[in-house]
Amino acid sequence: MLSLKNLPWRNLQGYAGRTAALVFFSMLMAAAIFGGSMIVSGVLRGLSEAEARLGADIVVTPVDANSSFDAQTVLLQAEPGYFYMDKGKLDEVAAVEGVEKATPQRYMASAKAGCCSARLQMIAFDPETDFVIGPWLKDSNLSEMGLMDVVIGSNVTVYNDNIIRFYDTECRIIGQFEPTGTTLDNCVYMNFETVNVLINASFEKRLNLYEKYSPEDVISSVMVRTASGYDTERVAADIRAKVGGVSVATAKNMVSGISDGLKRISRSITFTAGMLWLIGLFAVMLLFVMMIHERKREFASLSAMGADRKVISDIVGKEAMTVCLMGGAAGIFFSAAVLYSFGGFIGNYLGAGMVVPSTGTAFVLAGLALCSSLLAAKVAARAAVWYIFRTDVSLVLKEGE
Amino acid sequence: MKLEAKGLKKDYTRAGKSGSVFEAVKPLDFALKSGELVEITGRSGSGKSTLLSMMAGMLVPTGGSICIDDMDIYAMEEEERSKLRNGRIGLIPQGNTALLSLTVLENVMLPFVLYHKEPPPEDRAKELLMKVGLFDMKDERPNALSGGELRRMAVARALLMKPAVLLADEPTAGLDDANVELVMELLRSAADEGASVLLVTHENEARKYADRVFNMAGGRLCSN
Ligand SMILES: Nc1ncnc2c1ncn2[C@@H]1O[C@H](COP(=O)(O)OP(=O)(O)OP(=O)(O)O)[C@@H](O)[C@H]1O
Ligand SMILES: [Mg+2]
Repeated sequence: MLSLKNLPWRNLQGYAGRTAALVFFSMLMAAAIFGGSMIVSGVLRGLSEAEARLGADIVVTPVDANSSFDAQTVLLQAEPGYFYMDKGKLDEVAAVEGVEKATPQRYMASAKAGCCSARLQMIAFDPETDFVIGPWLKDSNLSEMGLMDVVIGSNVTVYNDNIIRFYDTECRIIGQFEPTGTTLDNCVYMNFETVNVLINASFEKRLNLYEKYSPEDVISSVMVRTASGYDTERVAADIRAKVGGVSVATAKNMVSGISDGLKRISRSITFTAGMLWLIGLFAVMLLFVMMIHERKREFASLSAMGADRKVISDIVGKEAMTVCLMGGAAGIFFSAAVLYSFGGFIGNYLGAGMVVPSTGTAFVLAGLALCSSLLAAKVAARAAVWYIFRTDVSLVLKEGE
Repeated sequence: MKLEAKGLKKDYTRAGKSGSVFEAVKPLDFALKSGELVEITGRSGSGKSTLLSMMAGMLVPTGGSICIDDMDIYAMEEEERSKLRNGRIGLIPQGNTALLSLTVLENVMLPFVLYHKEPPPEDRAKELLMKVGLFDMKDERPNALSGGELRRMAVARALLMKPAVLLADEPTAGLDDANVELVMELLRSAADEGASVLLVTHENEARKYADRVFNMAGGRLCSN
């Protein structure tokens, strides 16, 4: 039944082509705002997650002149790799003043032809002294790891539910970590005993570069926690001075090395989303005013029937609001669908860690995107109302057909 | 209801030479009493539509006043004036005035819903459509109607609110003789029921329905 309330909707239906175009552009706007802010907050979330995950203040790795990779960044962004130093380095590091805790880790990479399509980084910890991996296990409600037990990072896909094979040796998967958006997600975590079995298996298969070592005698890194009251940078410098043949990095530097790149990416995403929004706003305004122009006789007729400025402004405002909200909801829906199905690809494409934001954040950002659609509706309606009353409406009616 | 214009005039500023004004309606006095049908004829461009728009409260005059029952309508707020037009003045503007998204019936009921939350008076609208011979087209879109049918739809719409003043700008343009007669009968019976009717037309036929006839020329109104 006809009423003033449904008149705006009836009008939009009557001009379906224009309405569809308007919905499309407001969809673009909302998708840009929502998608852009989701990606940026996902990148930032990945970053803080990675810093928390690293779990140590200082990372000590061997200086390896032949190495094709940078030992310091292997944990956060490089290709899987492995490198060893004498396990005596642990005691040397632990002896430095200001080192509260020091725990060794031993790394290994799976052969390319292993279980999975890509090589995996294996990270093994020493259950005796570990303070890095243990808390993650606790946070993830996972039990202690036994021999041949592994926990996989979020990106590791397994075809056979609980079993993963390395160098023809079976490991039991007891859990999976939450994503961090860094290469930590591509890692497989285990204890020293387990990795030793695997390293020996790789020796047997002649797939290890370091056959001269016995796994029990080497470690890959020492993770250090500084004692309270000591400056991490100072302690790192001390280790550098006192322990030979190692490379020393602080967690802050490791993460901020990535974060500078990510900040650049975030800025360009923000800029692009902002531009898209403005282009969308311009298109919506233009199309809406064009639609109103086409209908200026209709508005003049409404005025002749006694509709005052407010009634007409309300009709125009509701029309704008309806198209912008419809487009806004569709835009949010589509970009959410894309983000949730291809979040990982988007992260890879950006060359950055990205963790899809939490549902709560997603709702807040969706709300913001809808508000931006409402803002666009207000602007478009303002422009249209101005256009209608720019000249005396009665003059429109005198222009004949 | 009495509609009275005093010293009413309208100047348009012409584009081109800056400051040059065109007197579309020269100062005139004019009164329309309840129950009478007054006809205005005149050549194209003589100012008839301008006069009618001012009478309807749609176009602010350059000078003078228009009073309805001794109330100056241009002293009112725009909102109040619009409500007055909605409730008491039926205006049939020149040309097509339909809303394309609505059916013919809905177009006729439109004036009611602007300020009423209740369901529109469908029966009255149908009855009016019957009177203008458009009942069978009530569910059509205006696009499906001819120019003459749209004019008759506008007549039905203007009568919906039982206005005390009816202002019709060439309501019979493009109509055949039988339909001219039909529309004129409607306007006449509105007057007979007490409305003040002002009619702008080129139709000679109209003369026999009119109580008074004026001629407009160059913005001046002369009684015939
Ligand atoms: N906005 C305007 N600016 C300048 N001149 C205008 C404007 N509107 C109307 N006029 C002029 O005012 C004069 C009267 O116009 P009006 O529309 O009242 O004529 P009319 O008698 O209704 O003509 P018609 O029979 O063709 O409808 C015309 O000469 C027209 O050119
Ligand atoms: Mg005219």
